[in-house]
Amino acid sequence: MFIPRPSIRFAFSLAVAIGVFVSRGAVFAEPAKEGQALHPAGVTFELDIQPLLTRHGCNSGPCHGKSRGQNGFALSLLGFDSDFDFSALVGEGRGRRQFTASPESSLLLRKATGQVPHGGGKRIEVGSPHYELLRQWVESGSPRTPADAPQLVKVVCEPLTQILAPNQSFQLRVFAEYSNGTRRDVTDVAAFQSNDRTYAFPSMDQAGLIVAGPIPGEAAIMARYMNNITVSRVMIPQAGEVPEAAYASLPRLNPVDDLVWKKLKLLGMLPSHPTNDATFHRRAYLRIIGRQPTPDETRAYLADSSTGKREALIDRLLERPEYADFWANKWADLLRPNPYRAGMKAVWNLDAWLRDAFRRNLPYDQFVREIVTAQGSSWRHGAAVVFRDRPDTVEIASSVSQLFLGIRLECAKCHHHPFEVWSQDDFFGFAAFFSRIGHKGQGLSPPISGGEEMIFSTPTGQLNHGRTGTPVSPRTLGGTDVTISPDDDPRVVLAHWMTSPENPHFAKVMASRVWAELMSQGLVDPVDDIRATNPASNEQLLDYLAADFREHKYDIKHLIRRIMTSYVAGLSSVPANRNLSDTRNFSRYYRQRLRAEVLLDAVNDALGTEEEFAAMAPGSRATQVWTYRTSSLFLDTFGRPDANQDPPCERTSDTTTPQILHLMNSPALNQKLSVDSARPAQLAASDLSNEQLVDEIYLWIYCRLPTTSEKQTAVEFLPGKPERRRAVEDLFWVLMNTPEFTFVD
Amino acid sequence: MTIHKNCEGLRRRDCLSLGLGALLGGGLVSALGSRATAAGQSKKPTGCILIWLDGGPSHIEMFDPKPTAPAEVRGEFQPIETKVPGIFFSENMERLAAINDKFTIVRSVCHNQNNHGAGNHYMMTGAPTRIPVSCGAFVSFHPSMGSVVSAERGAPHNLPPYFSLPSITRSGGPNFLGARHAPFVVADDPNSKSFRVRDVTLPQELDDGRSVNRRQIRKKLDQLVRFQDRSAGDPVMGADENYQQAVSLMTSDVALRAFEIDRESESVREAYGRNSLGQRALLARRLVEAGVPFVTINDGGWDHHSNIFPAFKKQGRSLESVVATLIEDLDQRGMLDTTLVIVMGEFGRTPQISTLPGSTTPGRDHWSSAMSILVAGCGTPRGQVVGATDVRGYAAIEKIYGPENLVSSVYLKLGIDPDKIVYNTSGRPAHLVSDPRPIAELM
Repeated sequence: MFIPRPSIRFAFSLAVAIGVFVSRGAVFAEPAKEGQALHPAGVTFELDIQPLLTRHGCNSGPCHGKSRGQNGFALSLLGFDSDFDFSALVGEGRGRRQFTASPESSLLLRKATGQVPHGGGKRIEVGSPHYELLRQWVESGSPRTPADAPQLVKVVCEPLTQILAPNQSFQLRVFAEYSNGTRRDVTDVAAFQSNDRTYAFPSMDQAGLIVAGPIPGEAAIMARYMNNITVSRVMIPQAGEVPEAAYASLPRLNPVDDLVWKKLKLLGMLPSHPTNDATFHRRAYLRIIGRQPTPDETRAYLADSSTGKREALIDRLLERPEYADFWANKWADLLRPNPYRAGMKAVWNLDAWLRDAFRRNLPYDQFVREIVTAQGSSWRHGAAVVFRDRPDTVEIASSVSQLFLGIRLECAKCHHHPFEVWSQDDFFGFAAFFSRIGHKGQGLSPPISGGEEMIFSTPTGQLNHGRTGTPVSPRTLGGTDVTISPDDDPRVVLAHWMTSPENPHFAKVMASRVWAELMSQGLVDPVDDIRATNPASNEQLLDYLAADFREHKYDIKHLIRRIMTSYVAGLSSVPANRNLSDTRNFSRYYRQRLRAEVLLDAVNDALGTEEEFAAMAPGSRATQVWTYRTSSLFLDTFGRPDANQDPPCERTSDTTTPQILHLMNSPALNQKLSVDSARPAQLAASDLSNEQLVDEIYLWIYCRLPTTSEKQTAVEFLPGKPERRRAVEDLFWVLMNTPEFTFVD
Repeated sequence: MTIHKNCEGLRRRDCLSLGLGALLGGGLVSALGSRATAAGQSKKPTGCILIWLDGGPSHIEMFDPKPTAPAEVRGEFQPIETKVPGIFFSENMERLAAINDKFTIVRSVCHNQNNHGAGNHYMMTGAPTRIPVSCGAFVSFHPSMGSVVSAERGAPHNLPPYFSLPSITRSGGPNFLGARHAPFVVADDPNSKSFRVRDVTLPQELDDGRSVNRRQIRKKLDQLVRFQDRSAGDPVMGADENYQQAVSLMTSDVALRAFEIDRESESVREAYGRNSLGQRALLARRLVEAGVPFVTINDGGWDHHSNIFPAFKKQGRSLESVVATLIEDLDQRGMLDTTLVIVMGEFGRTPQISTLPGSTTPGRDHWSSAMSILVAGCGTPRGQVVGATDVRGYAAIEKIYGPENLVSSVYLKLGIDPDKIVYNTSGRPAHLVSDPRPIAELM
């Protein structure tokens, strides 16, 4: 669910990119103007050498930083483990890697400079300042940084925000601050990364030079030095002045609008016009209950002239029975137990639990508490299935932190997350809350069966730290160790911390998810990866939505209502004068292809046909299907996620050529189009005139009336009543094969 | 169990003894990679037909007979001489034995995943499953070969680059490469008179004229406004591109001709055998001829826990006849130099014949320590055997390779660097294949 985008990939490609920089006039060895020599010991490992290994990509994931190293030489990923790296360089390799008597002959220098064959090529020039540092270090006997040396306390960048014109650039400087109060410029050895290279990106030629892209927008530039990160935000406003009054006069139906306008003002953008009634009506149906309105519903809405009709529509939809199926289906995407691990009965059981939760509009905090603390039989208590599907402590901990806190802890299991504040200690402290879960039942280990399993809390059980091997106490993220008595379930303590009003993450990630579901585009992208280095496009708006959600007792329907009744949610998708390039700030609505299930239901609703699903009652809708193992070529073609993939494959809203082909030529769809009982045949045989008939077709497929010219074109194509069936079928085919049908606009 | 360990143990030792070579490995592999790429550019592009024998075919009943083993291992069949002196196949592989100067058998790929779900995954992707899975599992932890080829190579004429006939294999999916690299599945039987490639050729009820007519009206009525400027990021523009591709595929002579299997002469169709497998192999050849770089034929029913000997007399013979025809046909057409043919399953089978409880006839069970893989074409040697198993066929004992090496070989043959870094959906980098060294003897 929730629109993953590939942009995050850039984050990691950094690891490769670092090594590509060409060093120019590096001045690293000189202390910056504020500082003094850091330590009289001279060039030492932690302070001087490790940053170089990171800077030149030696310890990056694709090179020596991967767990098995490269050609027998392994470093910790991005230098998170100094002991390990030191012993790799100095202790291993039979002393060839550094050779004090003749530093130039050290493998470290000869490899890095490409004097002997090096898979990673030439990284450092002979004689360059970085080369000199390495050489001096080896020559002085490869010393480690003494324990009394100043510690790196934090890394800061200047400036923190920068406004640029398109294609302009500026120099970002990065400073490391040490425990003795010194500060040195580490720009030359820092790594830079943009969260959106369309808008601004670090130059490859000069460390810290940030270049704006050609179009207005915004980017966050992350700078990393050792395990510390800092972020600078770059804004490229739309050229030209916008009078203050243009913003003041914009409607504010609720606080969402004001926060969006504030952001647009910073970017010098202005919103599109509101969309028309029919488009909004269809949008609200598709977004809130995942189905198209019928012609009667559309006609009634268009005829309604009352002022509060939009709000009334949203309220009406939130009470529809389809609401629960639609939103439970989205959550099934997220939790989706693998039937090959959990068993079919368990999968059904969890699905039923989810649908029930949305039917009852279970407050979100309670919903999460019930999942996180679930106990009992996987055949009786649906939420417990989550623990059958993810029996491994480490796995369930990563899922819970991502789903409900928007924190990706998974990387920290093995190494310090390269773009995050969370360390391995944080990860294991968090995972320790799941170390006392008991499992009893069938098929817990291979051969895995579909049997029943009991999940319960045990009085004993511990988790050992992945690196040190010592037992870990449960510790909340950013908090302190928690002692939990043998009688208490650590998960209850965790759930309490997660859902407490003080928890800054909990409400935010759900607000982020729901926003993306309704508005096509996340405030944060991906929606559940919230961190300083991946800032929201509108932090204030996300904060407001989270606070509002919390204040309204985590009522999901309230959150949906808040967003959908904003003026912003009713904007047209058509760009206006000052927002063409805006794809992040909600100055217009963003189009999105319909989800697989919604599209299939829309096809059947329009044609008046039913889909036949295995393991489902007759007349079931696609949004009610509870497992991807109910086979459907249509759903798979349109990107229904496959629960047996690991990591579970994300739902995408991409369009592909096979999708187009399927909609055009699938024998099953053409069959539906042409059976006697389907709507085309029925309408063709009815007493409706060709004009009325075209209205009807447009209402069923586009959920609007045709324009005069559309009507004229369509009617021209229809012969007289006795022969019109084929042509009616063709018209249905035509409209269903256009993007106005397959996209929400 | 001891044998099982033996296989792994040997592999580890193998790696140790290769330690020195591994230092040079990167250079060697990249040299091979660039050569493969260069070859791909200068000549006709390469393609691959993978005949997947789902269930795990017995190595002893096919390409690795054990005539000196005791009867409970040897089985019912005799070894036969092949065209290459000194190489013996099981008697049912008669036609292949007559042309084994055109292909190679690898007898020494092995792994440690003894159930269908995990074994299939390992062989199909070159990566073991990250967690244990069960026999019935259809799992995907890593992109399959076909999906990788789809992503890296693409196909001309808007053809889908990865076909799977008649169904997707268990682990044949794209994983993080995304749905666009899922195989294009052609479920229909090309042996049937009414065969059509679904969705690309029109449904039977629909004639060309009507389809053209529909598209013409569509042109008039498709009035949703598009935001032409790319910075507006209109996803409808992408859908329009897909539509153009779909129509050009539907109207591409080259593509459509590839699907029209009845353009083949009667004698060719007969040679492949008038059965589903035979005609699928023929269709696969036509697809590769049209530029499709990867076609999988998923052939089920090779899980011979019982009834193994009658099955090989029938199923084994019918398979070998199809494979032999395919290789000969490719060779005669001059396509064998650019087309890689792989015949394999998820593992071999236990040398010891067993009759499982509830079964009345003997069979062999899952055995991942030994298997035989047929490799032909694309510059692989002709008339060789790579590696060997012990005298009873329990374990690979010479030139031991893992699925990683096999998959790396396939990638290199298709001009893809197996050491390439790929990014999963959360942005984590990984190598395409964790051990990018190919089976040297095939290169």
